[in-house]
Amino acid sequence: MAPTDSSIAADSSVVIDHGRSSWSDLWKKEDYLAIWLGFLIIAISLTAYFGFGPREEFAKKIAAAEQIQSAEAAKAPFKTIAWYKAENDKKKLKGSNSAFGKFITHWTKHPGSWKTNPADAFIRTDAQAKAMNQKAMPVYEEAKGKAAAVLAAAQQAESAAAAAAFKDSALNDAAVATIKDWQSAEKKAGAAKGKTTNKAYNYIPTLVGLCVFLVVIFGAGMALMKKSFTEFAKGFVIVFLVATLAYMLGGQAISKQYGFGAEAWGVLLGMVIANSIGTPRWVLPACQVEFFIKTGLVLLGAEVLFSKILAIGIPGIFVAWVVTPIVLVCTFIFGQTVLKMPSKTLNVVISADMSVCGTSAAIAAAAACRAKKEELTLSIGLSLVFTAIMMIAMPAFIKAVGMPEILGGAWMGGTIDATGAVAAAGAFLGEKAMYVAATIKMIQNVMIGVTAFCIALYWTMRVERQAGGQDVGAGEIWHRFPKFVLGFLAASILFSVLDSTMGKGMSDALLNGGAVKGGTKLLRDWFFVLSFAAIGLSTNFRELAKYFKGGKPLILYVCGQSFNLVLTLTMAYIMFYLVFPEITAKI
Amino acid sequence: MLQKIRKLVVSLGACLLFVYVFLPYLTKSVDILDRMADYLDNNGIDPTRYYYTDVVQVKESENYLNTVLH
Repeated sequence: MAPTDSSIAADSSVVIDHGRSSWSDLWKKEDYLAIWLGFLIIAISLTAYFGFGPREEFAKKIAAAEQIQSAEAAKAPFKTIAWYKAENDKKKLKGSNSAFGKFITHWTKHPGSWKTNPADAFIRTDAQAKAMNQKAMPVYEEAKGKAAAVLAAAQQAESAAAAAAFKDSALNDAAVATIKDWQSAEKKAGAAKGKTTNKAYNYIPTLVGLCVFLVVIFGAGMALMKKSFTEFAKGFVIVFLVATLAYMLGGQAISKQYGFGAEAWGVLLGMVIANSIGTPRWVLPACQVEFFIKTGLVLLGAEVLFSKILAIGIPGIFVAWVVTPIVLVCTFIFGQTVLKMPSKTLNVVISADMSVCGTSAAIAAAAACRAKKEELTLSIGLSLVFTAIMMIAMPAFIKAVGMPEILGGAWMGGTIDATGAVAAAGAFLGEKAMYVAATIKMIQNVMIGVTAFCIALYWTMRVERQAGGQDVGAGEIWHRFPKFVLGFLAASILFSVLDSTMGKGMSDALLNGGAVKGGTKLLRDWFFVLSFAAIGLSTNFRELAKYFKGGKPLILYVCGQSFNLVLTLTMAYIMFYLVFPEITAKI
Repeated sequence: MLQKIRKLVVSLGACLLFVYVFLPYLTKSVDILDRMADYLDNNGIDPTRYYYTDVVQVKESENYLNTVLH
């Protein structure tokens, strides 16, 4: 997929500077259109939440809560009940609960979860919702009662510690322990309450409306690229239908347990159609895999916040940001020199997928180096299979060998590909393991921006230049560089700056809880599932099998992951137990 | 055309049987998988989500670590 429109000189030492970039690229080329579309959605989300949202109301509530927390912190040497209550008040503030948030959340809904009846993914009646709520009510009542009892005990313990002016360490420790129990009981009561608030829904009109909206926005892009709007619109209905069915199939409880979500079902369902009855020709103009992916990636940039890197201090940086690039580069070199992978792009996509964070990294890497869709499919397929195995095997192994929870959590966080699977494996091992595992994974997730940029740069400046056999000039490098990566980075920088300047409380409430979760993320989800449905619909099994020849991708994944497992465990042990044991003790 | 439709039904049927018949059977047969299924269901954890903003437990973990470390 390397560009071939630059002049080729006979003398390889001649610097080629014949890039054909022009101003009209800004409104005609897919990369730029993905940036404009992504930023239009970002601008609407930011304006809606920051311009017309409850910003002042939130600011007052956050200031009041922080005042309480400061007073409590000055009063006691530990976090008191009032401190936690103020913290909970802050957590309740979410921009997505505003009118705009509710509107956009409603109109971007996808089929939901179900257990035995697939229709539950689309429609839930009032009677069904009431029955579910009634069934969950006794558990909630019990959890609520327990939480109230533990709160009373915590208040008593805190009062006893206060009576001793917080100078009796035994009383302080007792208060800390009971407050922790109360927090745990509150968490359980909160989860139980969530199961008593089911509502009736019918997603079918929503899905129809969303399909029309997506036809308009992507169709406009197609028209600007001088492609037929009508042909795109006709075919898009089928792509959307496959994506919707993929959401439905991936929403089933057991399918989810093994990590087969909407993305996997999108590819599978699309491929089954393409390789049995065949994708109708009139659908193919709507299989705009790259347009969907690039726009989705620009939106994903809004979720790449650099402040997250410090969430667990220096040990987290070493486990997630030192080990990861080492594994990525070593796996890539191993693939090129030892395995002699026939495709460099497949090699780097598997290396990024396995070392960084699975599907999202694979998408970013594939788009940055212009990998073929079959290579992305293969890479994600490998990741899904190994994620399902590691998610079950790793906590079982860690428990069996008696490895400490925090070390096990850090190990899983750095090695299991998908974040959801990391949380599942961590939670299965223990609460602290989940906290560490999920946080390490989050830090690693943030790396995809840097990874995509470095891969795009390396491909433009080294791989494609070597393939052409000539040195290229700055103009040609610019011409070849995948511009959407700049949109992705710009979104990441914009949101990182906003996040760091507005304070944690406001950022959680309006940026993460509003513009992202009540805006960009909702459409990003859809764009990726649409791209996977489009990949499936345009993939030939025989083409896919060609890439798997000799089992090299599997060997690459297994070798890279084995190296990752050893290096991550070693680094996690050194960081959490030898260099920074005080951080481990606090967790 | 009939052969193509047969191919579609067989391929799709095989996928659906694997995920909705074999995997539930496997889950019920192996104790650790069964416990994991219950655990995921009770705690609302979705292993299919691939990015940190998709997973509620990540925010919870971040908040916990922020509280105990700072």
